[in-house]
Amino acid sequence: MKRGAIIAILLLAASGAALAQRQQANPDFGKPEAIAAGAQVYAQTCTACHGPGGGAGEIAPAIVSGEQADRRNDAQILATIRTGVPGTPMPAFTGKLSEDDILHVSAYLHALRGTAIDNPSPGNEAAGEAIFFGKGQCSNCHMINGKGGVTAPNLGNIAGDRKTASIMDALTKPEHHIYGDGGSHLLSLPPMDTWLPAHITTKQGKTYDGVLMNQDSYSVQIMGDDQQLHLFDRSQISKFVVDPKSKMPTDVDKRLSPDEFRDLMAFLTRQGRTAQTADAGDN
Amino acid sequence: MKKSKSLALFAVLLLGLCAPVLAQNTPADQALLRPDPANWPSYSGSYDSRRFSALKQVTAANAHQLQAKWVYHMAGMKDLETVPLVMNGVMYISQFNRLDAIDARSGNLIWKYQRNPVSTAWQRGTAFYNNRLYLVTSDSHLLALDARNGAVIWDVKSDGGNVLAGGAPLIAHGKVIVSGNRPNGFIQAYDAQSGKYLWTWSPIPKQGDPALASWGGAKPEGMPIWVSGSYDPEQNLIFYGTGQPEPQWVGKQRSGDDLYSDSIVALSPDTGQMKWYFQNTPHDTHDYDSLEMPVLLDATYKGQPRKLLLQANRNGYYYVLDRTTGKYLAATPFVSKIDWTTGIDANGKATVAPGHDPTVKGSVTCPSTAGATNWPSPTYDPQTGYFYLWIAEGCGINTVASSAPAAGTGYAESPNAPWQAYVIALDALTGKKIWSYQGVRSNHYGPGLVSSAGGIVFAPEQFGQVSLLDAKTGKPLWHFNTGDLITASPITYGVDGQQYFAIASNSNIFAFGLPDGAKP
Repeated sequence: MKRGAIIAILLLAASGAALAQRQQANPDFGKPEAIAAGAQVYAQTCTACHGPGGGAGEIAPAIVSGEQADRRNDAQILATIRTGVPGTPMPAFTGKLSEDDILHVSAYLHALRGTAIDNPSPGNEAAGEAIFFGKGQCSNCHMINGKGGVTAPNLGNIAGDRKTASIMDALTKPEHHIYGDGGSHLLSLPPMDTWLPAHITTKQGKTYDGVLMNQDSYSVQIMGDDQQLHLFDRSQISKFVVDPKSKMPTDVDKRLSPDEFRDLMAFLTRQGRTAQTADAGDN
Repeated sequence: MKKSKSLALFAVLLLGLCAPVLAQNTPADQALLRPDPANWPSYSGSYDSRRFSALKQVTAANAHQLQAKWVYHMAGMKDLETVPLVMNGVMYISQFNRLDAIDARSGNLIWKYQRNPVSTAWQRGTAFYNNRLYLVTSDSHLLALDARNGAVIWDVKSDGGNVLAGGAPLIAHGKVIVSGNRPNGFIQAYDAQSGKYLWTWSPIPKQGDPALASWGGAKPEGMPIWVSGSYDPEQNLIFYGTGQPEPQWVGKQRSGDDLYSDSIVALSPDTGQMKWYFQNTPHDTHDYDSLEMPVLLDATYKGQPRKLLLQANRNGYYYVLDRTTGKYLAATPFVSKIDWTTGIDANGKATVAPGHDPTVKGSVTCPSTAGATNWPSPTYDPQTGYFYLWIAEGCGINTVASSAPAAGTGYAESPNAPWQAYVIALDALTGKKIWSYQGVRSNHYGPGLVSSAGGIVFAPEQFGQVSLLDAKTGKPLWHFNTGDLITASPITYGVDGQQYFAIASNSNIFAFGLPDGAKP
């Protein structure tokens, strides 16, 4: 009886804390106007120390990249803006800036630190969706919301995975590759050949065309143009060719009108879930 | 007269060389000088660092039957670079502050030593001597543990505030040799019995050393030493590689060769005196450290009996040196693209090619900073006379944030020269490439290798594949996917007549062998 009561109280306390934390989330997150306003306040107030775009300056550390930044969540950053860091040149901005401006700067930093979903591009999302599934021919290969092809990455969470600039590069820059940050030891790099066109002839003389999903020294996995997965042991293969050039067009901005491209970006940068705040779950 | 004098001198030299070794030839020393092939008593398996085992239960003919025997999970660990030791059927696996002793037949835990805090920093192994294990901690203590139960026998703080790195300790002539990177590269020795501090050697030239002039007036810095070395008991010399000079990516201030960076050095384990050095990469701005394992071999080289030291260097060249004097004998490229140097002269001195310093925009250099090869160990098989190693073809783009000495930096794969890893076999004496095995999907260095008398090379891959290759041809004979990244060197050992191969893959140790009851 007693134990049951304690658990109930603990549960209440826990859910109360979670609720409080959720209520603390900045209502300006992901709002383009607030982000733009925050960018202005940042440029006037913060750049001198933290550098443009939060990338570190002469006096203060990076907010957007670097280990320090990675260890602080949105709530901690907001608290730091409000109360400052004693013993350093970082002042408390409560009283110096309006509460609106503080929330705007926080929304701007959230956008810089987050992925596309945290700073979605302006434009007509519904028109962009029509282009994705129509004129843009994106869905011939890519899938969103369960509709589309399977011979290119599923883009259902693209705005949660990538920054806006990275999505833009994929649509406009030839032969873009995503690299690691570099540094002392790169333990793993994303495979450079995944999704490239692949052609296989088996020892029985059957041919398969598709895109490469993976390979190792002993096996090959391809997604066929028939939209089916095909798995091979290398000993079954007589000929295996991977084209060095992806089928992904990299001049989408030229194939579409400026408005259409803008709408497509508005659609793509809203596909997914934000990765910034962890969900506590129900247990 | 002249002749007899030189003979007498020779005799004195011989006596001088042999006396200290003979005087301390205890059973504990014997276990390292002439290891039982069933054991893997040190990081490299033997003092010559050949990583070759005389065990021959697993052969090219029965390799296809190999199977996983057990998996031991190192709870809480990740990206293991550790090389287990095996002594008399017990495997010892170390991390900073931690040592697990397990039954090498079953993977069952026997005892575990854990000193706070838990550390997942990279650590590459322990050392065994006289029924003790020597363990480096994350707060730079060196411990001697009782191999029976992990009890601490002695615990000493590293001398002079030097920070001990994750390289496995080396036991040489009754000394525990350890090394580190901070404040600058160093090697230290402690008495294995008592833990008493003995000496420190540093690649920073001392006052009065003409090598100081090779820094263009700059203060010598850097040259980290974080990999174990080799030992020649006959000459009583240890051989270690040294790391890159600092500032690492900006070399303007330190114009000159920057000695003793990126070098192989020969030291006395008793005094730390340097007998010779050989610099592979002068004035380095690409992190081409010389920490790749030196392999020792006595052979007739170009008609002359020689005591050789072989090293496949991160800079793309396979070096053959005379280890009695450090004399350069040959350097052969083992990757197809090398452009950091315009060539190597008759004394082994490389001329640095202009235009390859890292820039804000990025400069392309081959091999990449990840290295034509790197610290995971190669193997030498005396039956084939081949030297086997993992290599990475391809080039890198080096960037710096600014021209400031401490500017941040990065390196990435060059899209025009993608990275691809291969196991290759070189003729150990000529450096000629014999065969090459492509590690599909593995793009740069990952694991080390081990060879054994059954005519096979055990070759794990960066991306988790483990293969047995035919030592003569490189043909794959068997493979297994561990499912995670591998960045350690493998070992082989025997218990009750069964031969095992073991390798760390992320947080697990895998052991492989033939099916129970298989005929050798």
